[in-house]
Amino acid sequence: MAKKRPVRPTANKAPVKLSTRDKKTLSSITGLADGVVKAAKGRRDPYVDIPSRTLSNVRYSARKRIIEMGNSKNRRQLFDLSQAKAYMRTMLVASGCKQLIDQGKTTSLRGMFYMLKHTIEKTKENTFDDQNECDTIIEDVEVLLDSIREELHLYAENRGAMVGNITVIDRGDTIDCSRMGSGGYAIPSIVEPEVIQLDRKKCDAKFILHVEKGTVWQRFNEDRFWETHNCILTHGAGQPPRGVRRLLHRMHNELKLPVYCVLDNDPWGYYIYSVLKQGSINLAFESQRMAIPDAKYLGLRSIDFDRCDLSDSVKISLSDSDKKRAKQIAKYPWFEKKRPWQTEIQRMLKNDFKLEVESLISKDISYVTEVYVPERLEAQDWLD
Amino acid sequence: MAKTTSRKKKPATSQAGESATNGTAAANGTAVRKSRRRSDAKSMAANQKEISVSEFFAKNRHLLGFDNPRKALLTTVKEAVDNSLDACEEAGILPEIWVHIQQTGNGRYKVGIQDNGPGILKKQIPLIFGKLLYGSKFHRLRQSRGQQGIGISAAGMYGVQTTGKPVKIISKVSPRKPAHYYEIQIDTKKNEPKILNGRGDGVDIPPGEKGAKVIEKHGIEWVDQRHGTRVTIELEAKFVRGRGSVDEYLQQTAIANPHITLHYVDPEDYEYEYNRSADVLPPEPKEIKPHPYGVEVGRLAQMIEESDPMSISEFLRSKFSRVTPAVARKLCEGAKVKPRVGVRKLDRTHADAIFQAIQTTKISPPATDCICPIGEDLILKGLHQVVPGEFYAAATRPPSVYRGNPFQIEVGLAYGGSAPTQNVTMDLLIELLEETDTRTVRQFLIHTFNGLGGEGADKIVKAAALKTRQAPSGLKPKERERLFDAMKNINVAEGQQMEVMRYANRVPLQFQQAACAVTQTVVGTNWRGYGLSQSRGALPKGPVSIMVHIASVWVPFTSESKEAIASYPEIQKEIRLGLQAVGRKLGMFLRRRMKVRQQSDRREIFMRYLKEVSGAVSSINGVGQDDLYEELLKVAKKVTADADMKLDDRGRPIEEDPKELDLGDNVLIVDPAEHEAAINRVEKVDEGEEEEYEEE
Repeated sequence: MAKKRPVRPTANKAPVKLSTRDKKTLSSITGLADGVVKAAKGRRDPYVDIPSRTLSNVRYSARKRIIEMGNSKNRRQLFDLSQAKAYMRTMLVASGCKQLIDQGKTTSLRGMFYMLKHTIEKTKENTFDDQNECDTIIEDVEVLLDSIREELHLYAENRGAMVGNITVIDRGDTIDCSRMGSGGYAIPSIVEPEVIQLDRKKCDAKFILHVEKGTVWQRFNEDRFWETHNCILTHGAGQPPRGVRRLLHRMHNELKLPVYCVLDNDPWGYYIYSVLKQGSINLAFESQRMAIPDAKYLGLRSIDFDRCDLSDSVKISLSDSDKKRAKQIAKYPWFEKKRPWQTEIQRMLKNDFKLEVESLISKDISYVTEVYVPERLEAQDWLD
Repeated sequence: MAKTTSRKKKPATSQAGESATNGTAAANGTAVRKSRRRSDAKSMAANQKEISVSEFFAKNRHLLGFDNPRKALLTTVKEAVDNSLDACEEAGILPEIWVHIQQTGNGRYKVGIQDNGPGILKKQIPLIFGKLLYGSKFHRLRQSRGQQGIGISAAGMYGVQTTGKPVKIISKVSPRKPAHYYEIQIDTKKNEPKILNGRGDGVDIPPGEKGAKVIEKHGIEWVDQRHGTRVTIELEAKFVRGRGSVDEYLQQTAIANPHITLHYVDPEDYEYEYNRSADVLPPEPKEIKPHPYGVEVGRLAQMIEESDPMSISEFLRSKFSRVTPAVARKLCEGAKVKPRVGVRKLDRTHADAIFQAIQTTKISPPATDCICPIGEDLILKGLHQVVPGEFYAAATRPPSVYRGNPFQIEVGLAYGGSAPTQNVTMDLLIELLEETDTRTVRQFLIHTFNGLGGEGADKIVKAAALKTRQAPSGLKPKERERLFDAMKNINVAEGQQMEVMRYANRVPLQFQQAACAVTQTVVGTNWRGYGLSQSRGALPKGPVSIMVHIASVWVPFTSESKEAIASYPEIQKEIRLGLQAVGRKLGMFLRRRMKVRQQSDRREIFMRYLKEVSGAVSSINGVGQDDLYEELLKVAKKVTADADMKLDDRGRPIEEDPKELDLGDNVLIVDPAEHEAAINRVEKVDEGEEEEYEEE
């Protein structure tokens, strides 16, 4: 049985030229399938070992200053009652990615979900019932094949925007980010060099200012902050997606631009900073490509309420879960040894309220762009 | 007028002081006059007289279970049947009982109960049926159904009061002697029977052909027997089905008394037959003397007072069980009474001292051979006969003691069987819909089908596409059909609650479920370990029926109405142990069944995904999909080898024969497919009818 036929992309009507990266990805997908055939022939239980994406399997590398994935793996077996379905789904996703690569196309996560969703023969059971089930399996396949989402020809929804004194080339189109109007340049989900090319010569900006969300970003854009201070202005719509993080990483490393963050003064803001700087637990395998250990935290700070003389009305009191989260964050190894950060978090807990960036509007509409950020930058007053 | 004013002025003095101090009244002079008193001791004495017990109970009939017409009917049947069973068993006759309920008018029913017992002597008949508190059971400490000797005569009294019709009794002692026929009314003033027929002397019905003619002429019912008694009472009543009904009582009685045969004709002329599944009478219970621990100080003092002259030591030895000479000596020492002193010389303080001594002295527990449990075998038979199901277990605990009274707990469990809703026929459903007084279909379902619960009812109503607030009486034929289909098709077992049947000395307890020690213990037991789901503080769910029987010489009821058992820790402990014993067996049965099912499920799951996996792999590396599938199938077979063993040659999973399961004794497993008689009884119209009521 199972005579292996050579893989022929010629099976498709129009032969697609595969890049070297695609070839590499394809060979690891095929390796996965071959493993199943081999196990079946040997009357063994087919399995895959998936590096585990949990808190217990990440560690902080003090030298590289990023979160790295450990070596522990979870075995997923076909002939295990609780894993059989997940195993089947893993294989489905792998075959789906193979199909995409073969045809040289990309699709969204949701597209993949629809591609693979069908009713299993002779049952009423679906392969996938909702997109979350599919998304986690895709992440599994990423770590399993050691190829990132982009290499599997998958992308997420565009999120985040950019303006500033920089010109990039996106799929051959030249984009001048200083002429993006009020909307800005939407940062795509895939920002790998094949898609977006950066050029040092076409970048005048001296630094990157990353803000938490679109509304604040709008303020800065409207005030032409990037023009007056000669910088690049980005936002990540909350927790920045991979595309934004990867682009920041590339600009930081390839264009040697420092990154400053203006985030809310709450545990969530701290965490966004932590993810930008060290990487996240779930995507620890991508820290190498995304984390920016030199990113700086410009604000808001818990001392700002007094320092900027804000009115009481802007306080938002901390919920129990906020407090719990703050204490957790204070114990992260990358914050634990930093005195300023400990003081910062303790101060917030003592304040017993949080502050959003928008709260500065109570002083003046443009206080944040005209006074707050320039002052901080001038004084080099930031947390590292 | 002047008097009135003065009274108004000094209300405090006159009213508070009056009865206490005549002096004050006198001191007040003429202002408060003697004539102000409404009555005096002399005139009041004229109105003070003895209240006869029958008058008392005639006014307070709720104390005896005649609160409402519905309960009155049940109580009447219950008292008569209990008496019959006690009489038969005492005489050593396998009981056969006939119960006939007929409607005679609006809200009026005639209840006839006949047994094949020993019969009653002529002169005793009026006393037994026409005098309250006349009986043989009150003064002895012995396990029996009745205790006071009040029930049947009270039923007769209720009948006379509500309809004016006398109680009719026929009793026959031997086939050769004439049967006695009495029509009796109770004279509530005197608590005396008043015989109406035969000029106050009753009528004798000669044996044989001649008698039959007389019987026919009088319009009395009598199923010809060699001996026996029939009592007919006409009373104001209401016949209902469902919880707390006569149907339920008779069914539960049949379960706990597998040695009886019961014929029952209900007012709608349905006939039910419960045939005996055991041909042996339960052993005769022995009468015992009270145990010192069970005696209260007042009772002790009374016993001492009433005793014949003897020494205190002899008194203790002879009037109580388990008091040896050594124990008697110890008690006397403890009470600082000389053992030789005569009982007549003792007073209350001595009695008190002896009582205290009893509490601090160690006395061996009472003999327990005076109790006769139903027995595990018979519980299984009884349950199997009446409750449909596939798994039965029973446990009889060893006897134990509470407050000096020996008692014994028995537990039976029936699992499975179809839900009551699934047993109904269309005709019956229509009838039920007509007779119900509930406002909505949902309520109708909950009330009519016991154990169904709100969840199940909701499911059925939803499946039948009926409106939530639809009235059951206003259903159109089409809607009825939909309801019927929904009832048949919906599996309500998930939401179904365990049904708890409680018995005290083989008598079913039907009311005050929540107040009863049995229910409380069932709720307090963790059933999750035995494979049933259970919310905190609720009865477990599932198609399970539990029967708990407490046999004792003195069953501790929470009230005179004998509806709930008091929560003595000793009793609760024994109940819990019994429940756990049957629960463990149920758990084993369910786990085993689950395991067999899981193995074949497991195989199925793998098979299901193998196709997908081989398809995906083939699309990646181009291997033949079918070849790979075959290969994987072989691996699957190897992996699920044990499940494989249970597949027959066509690859279909075989349910392992659960009979192979070694669950020890006292377990009965029935193949539900072969147990149709028990599950779908309704098809046999006459017999099955009440099942689904009773089940509820």
